[in-house]
Amino acid sequence: MDKYLVKDLMVPISEYATVSEGSTLLEAVLALEKAQEIFDHTQYLHRAILILDKNQKVIGKVSQLDTLRALEPKNEHLDKIEDISRYGFSQKFIMSLKEQNRLHNIPLGEMCVAAADLTVETLMQAPTEGEFIDENATVNSAIHQLVQGSHMSLLVTREKDIVGILRSSDVFAAVFHSMKACKLA
Amino acid sequence: MKELEKLFIRIAQRVNINLRELGFNVKPYIWDLIPATQMNKFYAFYGITPNLPLHLQFRNSGLAGSYFLGKCRITDSLLYKTDVRGDELKKKGDIFYCQNFKIPISRDEEIVIEDSVLVKTLVHNFSHDPETPERFFIKDTVATHYANIHGAPTEGCFMGPFSTVDQTTIHDSIIGTFSYVQAGEISHLDIEPGTVWIRSPGVFNFLYRYPQDKLSTYIYFAPGIQPQGLFIDFVKDRQEAFQRVFELVNLEQPIPVPNTATLDRYAVVKPKTEIGENVLVSQRAYLQNAILGKGANAQENCYIINASLEGNNVTAHGAKIIEADMGQNVFVGFNSFLRGRPESRLKIGKDCIIMPHTIIDTRKPLAVPSGHIVWGLVTCPEELECNSISISAMSKITSKLTKGNLLFEGDGAQFVSAFQHRIQHILEANGAFYNGKDKKGPKGHAQKHQNMSFNTIQPYPKGKLEGLYPTIMIQP
Repeated sequence: MDKYLVKDLMVPISEYATVSEGSTLLEAVLALEKAQEIFDHTQYLHRAILILDKNQKVIGKVSQLDTLRALEPKNEHLDKIEDISRYGFSQKFIMSLKEQNRLHNIPLGEMCVAAADLTVETLMQAPTEGEFIDENATVNSAIHQLVQGSHMSLLVTREKDIVGILRSSDVFAAVFHSMKACKLA
Repeated sequence: MKELEKLFIRIAQRVNINLRELGFNVKPYIWDLIPATQMNKFYAFYGITPNLPLHLQFRNSGLAGSYFLGKCRITDSLLYKTDVRGDELKKKGDIFYCQNFKIPISRDEEIVIEDSVLVKTLVHNFSHDPETPERFFIKDTVATHYANIHGAPTEGCFMGPFSTVDQTTIHDSIIGTFSYVQAGEISHLDIEPGTVWIRSPGVFNFLYRYPQDKLSTYIYFAPGIQPQGLFIDFVKDRQEAFQRVFELVNLEQPIPVPNTATLDRYAVVKPKTEIGENVLVSQRAYLQNAILGKGANAQENCYIINASLEGNNVTAHGAKIIEADMGQNVFVGFNSFLRGRPESRLKIGKDCIIMPHTIIDTRKPLAVPSGHIVWGLVTCPEELECNSISISAMSKITSKLTKGNLLFEGDGAQFVSAFQHRIQHILEANGAFYNGKDKKGPKGHAQKHQNMSFNTIQPYPKGKLEGLYPTIMIQP
């Protein structure tokens, strides 16, 4: 386990789901589906789509959570509900208000159709400083970085280029494999 | 640059430093609120009574038109037509109960105002902060027209016009125009205008927010302008009557006053007004064709016009009652504005609780049934239905209530009980239950404030210190 480097566990960017900036959410989801069909090394699915600029540089990432967030109703009333948390109301109370508000909103099916046309830039998260790791870093460092930042994946770099993605699921699989090998040997 | 201006700039900077996290600049709000020329126009004055400790200290401050009672220390501050009323401060030997603490008071409590600008503000009650039970502090704070600082130590705050902080310690916060906060302790909050927030952590939480477009008709405040709206016009229309009571040294008592009641000599009383036993009328109150039944009170900045109060009514600081009939035991909270019309009077049934900062403004006859709680903006029967609930129904709420703009979470019975307990305490403190015949029952302000003397003090009229008062210490 100790001899593994990040580059040994990463998914090369060529095998990961990517779309260009300006793509719609639907195009991104289709890219994810296609990438998953081709990439069948493990039982773990890709969970995000990388967004590339015209120079093929990674400018952001759309995760499953970002996609679901696009389906959340947004209106002035909901903003007001969000605002009351600073007045000391309980989460249970706030959730009940949100639920009340949700009942007055458009059905989920219609919201899915509307969300499909959103451009990925409106949903993506730009990578933060702690989401990059060098391809020659140890898995131990990667684990620390994933845990500290509560990240689902890290972008793997070779000098200035992003060459892959290190998924927490792949790190977990490696750790699990090592644990099993040690304990059951 | 004169010292007054330097002081003003220094205070604004201190407040801004405290509010930097909220990105707030106080200067454009207050720069023109009190022109320097006004600060040497009015004398300051203080009350003398055998019933209260006398200990006043003024240092490097402007005090134009302001009033002081009890134990107060004012340093590096500008007060304009502000009332600092220290008649409910804790005394040495008292026990202050807070949560599970029983705190002995080791010395007479003092109101301490430092590095602050207070404009037409009322300071009253006592510190509810268990960490400073003997020091009711107001520090690095700007409070604008008709704000109430009631038992609420404040540090680094801006208070908009007609806002109230009540029994709450406030740190580094903005209290929006016409907002009311009673929440124990808050810090780093920007409370938007027209918020009425009453919270007892873990017990209940009451939040009402005024529709901004409707509130602006009544009161509106923005950087670079004076406060505007119906509230301001209403007060300005009656300002002249106060000039007379402040200008004359000796005033005849305008109406008969029972020997168990107090009518402050700095109140305005217009014809056809009647005052019953145990009534308290505080300074800067305005009565016109008003009937105040036994045990009723009208506190500072209250206006009661063409109205009757049947008895044991609390009209809290800044409340206004016009063309209305109030039943027994009606409580009208801080800065509320209740207005009927001559041809369509407003009737409030007995035992009602009109929450602080409520506006009832009706052009058609409107009656609030007995035993109801009313909040927010009410201009018609439909809005009354939306913004009221019977006390018995409220007492049955066990988890939550949402009604119109009201959000309530917690125990309704405890909410009602807390209010009723407080109303009872206010009536008692004001002397409503005093039995004059056999001199039994607790004496309150209505009895203790009789025969009070007033002394005046003056600022430098000219020169570098123009508008500031010399350092003065007044002791028994």
